Amino acid sequence: MRSHFLHMLIYSVLVSTFFGTLFRDSVRDRLRLGGLLWLAMVGGALVLAYAMYPFPG
Amino acid sequence: MAENKALDVELTTSSAPSTARLLLKIAAAWVFPGLGHVLLGRIGRGLLFGGIVWSCFGLGLAHDGRLALHDPRQPVLSALQVVANLGMGPVDAVARFGIYGRPVYAFEGFPDWRSPDAVERIFRERARSGVSIYGTAYLWTAGLMNLLLLFDVWDIGLGRKV
Repeated sequence: MRSHFLHMLIYSVLVSTFFGTLFRDSVRDRLRLGGLLWLAMVGGALVLAYAMYPFPG
Repeated sequence: MAENKALDVELTTSSAPSTARLLLKIAAAWVFPGLGHVLLGRIGRGLLFGGIVWSCFGLGLAHDGRLALHDPRQPVLSALQVVANLGMGPVDAVARFGIYGRPVYAFEGFPDWRSPDAVERIFRERARSGVSIYGTAYLWTAGLMNLLLLFDVWDIGLGRKV
């Protein structure tokens, strides 16, 4: 699998699920933390990529 | 005073086996990621953690992840990479055996791209793969997550965490 974006999605799902489960006890809190971490990772990467877009490689 | 001494002795003798049992569970968690939580009765959590860690490790191997080798040019950084890999337990040695032909953890001397050494050649070939950087990240993450799980097993075993 060579899709960088897909790797980012898979990686962020694994890591956010892990930390959500590790640091919270109730299902609701786990989903909340996991979702927040996932958004931070994927959203952060997309925002950074967009911000860097004008700069030449 | 005598009562206190008796209580101390009782506490010492009763806590020693439980500490040993807890250490065994931590060892089990290192040997087989997820098993520590299962042994503590957190079966669902153990299966989920195990699934995540094993998936990460499998993805790493499937994407030409580099199992780190100690490099004398970058001793601290490469040692930390080896520690991250070792977090997966003995399966790391099995993976090294499968990839490098033996459970090797360090370059023999300074790495040289002209070296005929098979381990160095395999290491370089995997590094050249377009997805190796992702595979390596998966492998390090799997090991580091399992190391965190050992602390979690310790906390649960001591009653610090539910």
